[in-house]
Amino acid sequence: MSAGNSNWWSRFYARYGVSGPAALIMFVFFLLVPLLPGEFWTVVGTEILILGLLAMSFNLLYGYMGQISFGHAAFFGLGAYATAMLFTSLKTPAGAIEIPEFLLSLLVGPPVAALGALIVGFFCVRLTGIYFAMLSLAFGELLFYIVFSWYSFTKGDDGIQGLLPPHFFQDASNYYYLTLAIVVAALLLMWRITESPFGYIMRTLRDNQRRAAFLGINVRLHMLMNFVIAGAFAGLAGALWGPFSRSVSPGLLGWQESGIAVFMTLIGGAGAFIGPIIGSVIYTMLQAVVKMYTVYWPLTIGTIILLIVLFVPGGVLGLVEKQLKARQGRMHDAGNGTDET
Amino acid sequence: MDIAPYALQLFSGLSRAMVLFLLSAGLSLIFGVMNILNFAHATLWLLSGYVTYSIFTVLSQQFGASPWMLLPAIVCTVALMSLFGFALERFLIRHTYTRELPEQLLLTFALVLILGDVIKLIWGVENRRINLGVKPMEMLDTLVNPYQFVIIGTGIGVAAGLWYFLHRTRFGKIVRAAVYSRSMVSALGIPIPLIYSGVFALGVGLAAFAGGVFLPLLPMSLGVDHDIIVQCFAVVVIGGFGSMFGTFVASIIVGVVYSFSILFWPDGALAMIFLILIAVLIWRPWGLFGTELRY
Repeated sequence: MSAGNSNWWSRFYARYGVSGPAALIMFVFFLLVPLLPGEFWTVVGTEILILGLLAMSFNLLYGYMGQISFGHAAFFGLGAYATAMLFTSLKTPAGAIEIPEFLLSLLVGPPVAALGALIVGFFCVRLTGIYFAMLSLAFGELLFYIVFSWYSFTKGDDGIQGLLPPHFFQDASNYYYLTLAIVVAALLLMWRITESPFGYIMRTLRDNQRRAAFLGINVRLHMLMNFVIAGAFAGLAGALWGPFSRSVSPGLLGWQESGIAVFMTLIGGAGAFIGPIIGSVIYTMLQAVVKMYTVYWPLTIGTIILLIVLFVPGGVLGLVEKQLKARQGRMHDAGNGTDET
Repeated sequence: MDIAPYALQLFSGLSRAMVLFLLSAGLSLIFGVMNILNFAHATLWLLSGYVTYSIFTVLSQQFGASPWMLLPAIVCTVALMSLFGFALERFLIRHTYTRELPEQLLLTFALVLILGDVIKLIWGVENRRINLGVKPMEMLDTLVNPYQFVIIGTGIGVAAGLWYFLHRTRFGKIVRAAVYSRSMVSALGIPIPLIYSGVFALGVGLAAFAGGVFLPLLPMSLGVDHDIIVQCFAVVVIGGFGSMFGTFVASIIVGVVYSFSILFWPDGALAMIFLILIAVLIWRPWGLFGTELRY
């Protein structure tokens, strides 16, 4: 290996950690997915991206702020319903919708979800740990039951059907590339946020709230801001979900859906920026494959989670990072001989 | 005023409160002593219901059908499930005590998925229930299933027994001490690992008991555990972590509020429970009867 190459790599690695190379490799793969024969993997790819965005938004709370939310899917669902309702009122009686109107209905998801997150977050950020988790769970379930039982407004457990995107986006590849573009843009924005001074305040809040307060940081205000940002990104994921699955249902807001975001994050690794997307790739692909052969998907994913919690605590990326560090350490040792004390 | 529908709702609310109490008491004990929030608690309850059903069926075939066969079936189930709980703690849960909260939650949630599918593998997707053939009783101008009184009585009995156990027996006192300070109990030379397994087995045993007792009233079906567990969380938080009395009162509040809400807002009855939970968490995060100490 040439010295220049090694330098380039180590600078890249120092700047972006294991997330940088992982993100680059994944991006190339994601670009190529629609070239695979058949629509199956394109559809699975779209699902990976949307749920991955949801998991990434969850990790803003968990990985960066250190609080676990069991009601995060509520904002995913709020975004999905906001988009679905505007979509339904904009489309012609025949069910067609023009591209500008379609994009407009996507845009309404994030602000509605952010508004919901502002209200819920106002109360949640007063608590931490298990109480934060419980209160977010309670709010999530409350929203779920409101959507579930308010038939005249939300169509209850029938959900909203017939969200057929414009003709151009009915093609699986086109919708896939639209999703890819939006998700990549969202991730770049998220990266910018987590690397800003605000992002470092989040890490401080995760590690020691009391010290953060002594440093003059308004703890609750910053937690609330992060809660709203995470809610908005979840709402964006929700907005993409409706036209993708052609329908929305109350289940999108339930705690089981929140649980999926938690799984993905912990499978991929909460410690790395790109971890939740890796988790989504593993979870969603596995689900697509396993469901072809057996109805016992919960048993499969349950066993996998069990093994990950017991044997791979940092998630997949955590494991990779550890291996890389160990290898670098060995190379370092080999270069310097054994004068380490 | 016609009180019949209200009386009916009150009885069904109270019997619902009893199953919530039996589950939440175990949940609260396990959380109090080991700091583990056991997502799988309601799934273990569901599994117990199915096990009771099978034992009951086998017993009825062997010794002739009789409602009394439910008693030995429940006893066997409680014994089996307590053993299972003991093993579960020893071989699985124990490895997560030093981990962070989300990982513990994830482990028990994995158990929800695994056990749920195991039930589906063994018993299929049909609902299971036991028909005891008890005749409805006429009361307050309406028909009431007398078995509800059996459940309410049993629940109060277990609550009293639990109180006696926790306050008057040596093991119970150790458990209560462990809720306050694990390290102190350990420093006194009490084998903490054994206490942990014992408390977990006790919690699962209570859940197993609830599963068996409730079988004649409510059919066991896949997925109910997902609904019940969040309600149990609500009960434990409303009553206050670690407070057995609080858990009892909160069970009654949740059970009765639920069954009365059904009269007015059938689809949103559970929303009422979460409203109460939200109010309590905002107003007194440590619960109605909990102490600020642990919060």
